[in-house]
This record gives sequence, C-alpha cells and structure tokens, in this order.
Amino acid sequence: MQTVLVVDDEFGIGEVLEAILTDDGYRVVTAINGNHALERLAGNRVDLVLSDLMMPVMDGAALFAALQADKRYARIPFVLMCSLPESNIQNRIKGYTAFLHKPFKVDDVLDAVRKVLGPPTA
Amino acid sequence: MSQSKADGAPQLSRMPTGIAGLDVILNGGFLRGGIYIVQGPPGAGKTILGNQVCYDHVAAGGRALYVTLLAENHDRMLMHMGEMQFFHREEIARSLEYISAFRILEEEGLKGLLTLIRREIQGRKISVLVLDGLVAAEHSAPSELEFKKFIHGLQTQAVVTDCTMFLLTSAGEAAISPEHTMVDGLIELSDEQYGWRSVRDLHVRKFRGSAYLRGRHAFRITRNGIEVFPRTESLLSEPSRDPAGQTKQITTGSASLDKMAGGGLTAGSTTLVVGPTGSGKTSLGLQFLSAASAAEPGLHFGFFEANARVLTKSDSLGLGLRKLVKDGHVELVWQPPTEDLIDALADTLLETVRRRKVKRVVIDGLSAFQRLTTSADRIPPFFTALVNELRGLGVTTFATLEVPDLIGPIARAPVSELSTITENLILLRYVELHSRLFRLISVLKMRDNEFDPMLRELLLGKNGLEVGDSFNNVEALLSGFGRGVEAPASGDHAEQTEKRR
Repeated sequence: MQTVLVVDDEFGIGEVLEAILTDDGYRVVTAINGNHALERLAGNRVDLVLSDLMMPVMDGAALFAALQADKRYARIPFVLMCSLPESNIQNRIKGYTAFLHKPFKVDDVLDAVRKVLGPPTA
Repeated sequence: MSQSKADGAPQLSRMPTGIAGLDVILNGGFLRGGIYIVQGPPGAGKTILGNQVCYDHVAAGGRALYVTLLAENHDRMLMHMGEMQFFHREEIARSLEYISAFRILEEEGLKGLLTLIRREIQGRKISVLVLDGLVAAEHSAPSELEFKKFIHGLQTQAVVTDCTMFLLTSAGEAAISPEHTMVDGLIELSDEQYGWRSVRDLHVRKFRGSAYLRGRHAFRITRNGIEVFPRTESLLSEPSRDPAGQTKQITTGSASLDKMAGGGLTAGSTTLVVGPTGSGKTSLGLQFLSAASAAEPGLHFGFFEANARVLTKSDSLGLGLRKLVKDGHVELVWQPPTEDLIDALADTLLETVRRRKVKRVVIDGLSAFQRLTTSADRIPPFFTALVNELRGLGVTTFATLEVPDLIGPIARAPVSELSTITENLILLRYVELHSRLFRLISVLKMRDNEFDPMLRELLLGKNGLEVGDSFNNVEALLSGFGRGVEAPASGDHAEQTEKRR
C-alpha cells in the first residue's frame, strides 16, 4: 500500500485529506509543518509528499529544499498545495512534481495522487 | 465548480435557490461549496426552505441529500411537502435522498456523523446537502470546542466536495453562537406578531464573499413554497434606470385640468391627489387613465374598489375605460388591503409596469400601503424608492390619498413626507357654501409648470371631469366653510353654478 505524507497546518484540511485518501486505499501519515514532516519521514516509508506552502516553523518551500538536499528523500514526489495561483509562487519554489490550487476538490486531489502513484495497491 | 479568473485563481460561483426574491437578496444565490446556517423558531419555515432549495437544485440537474437528526419524521415531512408545487415525488430516491443520521450520531458521535456525511456526499455525488436538526448535533457534542471542530470539518468537506450545505436549527437564543462565527452565512427566519396579524421575515445576518441586501425582508409561504420580497427601499435604493430629464407634457385626460395644471403633467412625474372620501380622487385617476393608448399603456392599481366597480364608475363618467381594457391598453389590478405585504404589492405593481411597458399608472389609495406596513418608519423611504423607480421607468404616476376629515381644514398630509417626494400636488375638498356642498379642486404644487392657483369647483358628470369656475366673492374655502365677502351684481357662486347647470 502506497503511503502519502500530508503536511498542512490548517485544522480540518489534514483530516479531510487523510479521510479522502484513506477511503481511496492509500495509507496516510499527517504532519502539521515542515519540521514535523521531517520527523514523520524518519519513521515511515513515504511514496509521496502532499504539502501546503504556507505553514509555521518550516514552510513548504523549506521542506522541499530540505528533501532535495537529503539523498534519502530527494526522489520522493512532492505535490505542492497553495491558495495562491501557481504563477505567484514559481519564483520561490521550483522543481516540485505537481501543483494543487486551494481550495481543491476531492477529484483534484485523487487525480494528482493517482497520476503520481498510480491506483492504490493492497 | 469554481470558475477561473485570468490569473488562474478560482472565482466563486453561485448556486441559485430558485426562490427569486432570495436570490436577489443574495446577489445571485448562495456561493457554491459554502456552508450556511438557516435558523428560526419552530414553524418559521426552515424545513420548507431546505426542501425547496433541494427540489430546485435537482430540477436544475444537481443531486441533493436531506439529512435529518431529531427532526420531523420523513413520511410526515414528505406528506407536508406534497402540498407544495415545488415537490416532485419522482425525484426522491433518484436525485434527492432523505436519510436519518440520528442513530449514527448517538452511536458514533460527531466524528461518525462527519464520516457518514462525507461518504454520502462522495458516494452519491451530492452537490446540495441539508442537515435538519443541527441542535441535536450541538447537544451531543462533549464540549463547545468539539462542536466547533465538527462545524469546521463540515466546512472543509463542503469546499473539497463542492457541495453547498445548509444547516437548519431552531437554536438561537444567544445573539451569537460559536457556529455562527465559522459558517459562510447565517439566515434567520422569524414570524412576528403585529396586533392580530403575523408577518414572516427573513434576515441575512452574515454572507461571506458577496454583497447582499441587508436588513429584514418579508416572506410568505403559499403552495408555491417560500416567496421572499426584498424590502423595496433596500432593493431600489437607487432606481434601476436613471430618470430621463423629461420636458414633454402629457394630458391629464381633461382639457380643463390640463389648463389649470399649466399645460398638463410632465411625463415621468408623480402627482399626488389628496382629498376625503367621495371628493373625486378615483374619478380624477380614471380620467387620467382614459388618455391611455397603445403608445401609452395604463395601469389602475387599486385597493378599495374591485375592478367591476371601477369600470362601472368609468361608465358613469363616460370615460370609455371598458373599451381600453378590452383593447389591452389599460390593465386593472385590484389588491384588497387585507393580509398582504407592502413589498409584495410593490413587486406586483413594478412587475406589471415592466411587463406591459406601462406609461400611465394610477395608484388608487396609497393609505393601503400604510395600513399594511409593520413599521410606519418605512413609509417615506418606501414611497421614495417606489416613486423613483417609476420615474426611472418613464411612468407618469397619479396617486390618490384619502384624508379622514370630510369637512374642515387639513392640517397635514396623512402620510408624512409624501408630498415632498411628488412633483405635483392636487387638493380636493368639500366646501360648504350657502347650505350646499361643492367639490373644490386646487393645485398646490406643479414643479415644472406655472399653474393656476385659483380654488375651483370640480364637476363630475356624464362627460367626465371638468374644472369649473373659481369661487368668486367667497373666502376661507380651505377651512371647509366658505363665507361670502361681498355680493356681486351677477349673484354669488352658488347661483352662478345653478345657472350653468
């Protein structure tokens, strides 16, 4: 079963993403900021990171940079979520796998995840 | 689904309710993917509103889910809804589902309820959800924080599933409840008592992301479901069209009155005719309508005399209104001032004017509006908005207003400030002179014309209305009791009138 690490500081978003992806057949691990996500990565085999951009402690751009700088995590696909249009953040962060505009719809999330990971495996 | 702006950011799209007045108040409908509380005491109309929104949504191709907690039994609810014209039984179990979630709430708590709702929405592709009985969820919450988390969870689900949610609750003792701060909108329904009469109203207390018409708006529940009437002065705080600067004069329908008015009435103006009962106000209005034509369609909007009586009166004055009605140049609308809403009346009036492109309107009995309002404070802004809108539509309006005293001085207009918002003011009076009553007509104001300021006799006969001579050699006519000042060689006014007859 593929594992998705959902990183979002906003109450409710992490919960609903966890519910949607779990219902669809993925395993989900959640974190509330970039720093927390790095701790979660240490104890889990993660196949995809689905991360918000604007978060306290460590934001999504810093998390992505940290992953890129670490050989263990550099190849993990990174889907960035943000309420700003993608054109507004491209000068801050480059090289991520996909972009999800907030507020997103269930199908947008599932499409983005399936496109990267394929359908969930048992 | 959200539309995209040019910069790629999503734009909020609307979900019309199908309740025309409510959509106007909300500037086009609810925002899709929003979560709204509909609150009100038992019997206020929440369940009907919830159902009506669902049926309209499925009629437009959407899918709706009606979830009850501790609310009306489904069978009873459907029996009650079956009386409504929006109800379509064939939609049930096809595009509209009714489910009860109370057992889940009891057994699994708010988290279980949230999961159920999410799965139902996703599984059935639901785009409108009504949760009836939110108060049961609130009472089952172990703490206020847990209830707020539940509402937040619903809100997130509404966004990600693009499902618009309505939470119906009778709670509302507190002015502001925690859930009010979290939802996208709050609509309050109430049913207030005014003397023996009850009037329902709807108040949008909060509506994120959009302009809306603030304040209270009356509504009624009929077999058509809920009909909402935006408060006229709020809806028409500015007229839908700027009034054109008119200089064209149109006839009052009477050559002698045109002469007295300084050439007729300015097109697009409003004339207020004030006088006691029987003084000739309705007749003056009918005379004005007798000049209606295909180019200038007319409307008689009356309250106290049924259409048949209006036509009979027109026949007795030889005004030919019956033929104008038959030919489609004049429409008669009778609205008995019993239990109606003033905004519903304004809506009917303006709808008829727009539909028939009416150019001559007679509003016979403005006091009906005053009688039906629930707040006297509303009357001046209400009439200002109505008159401005009629001006904007290029309508020349003749409005009558009854004063209570048959004889004696009129201290002031019975509807405050009304005379200031009309361009023209005509006063009709009874006057006693030499043991006889006469009808008197006087032009008090004609904003654009040099008018005849004399007090003249108003004559009503088989050939309609005629403005007669002035009352020579008498004074104090406006007190209602004229008295002679000097006997002229040719006799006094009463003698002159008798000779002319």
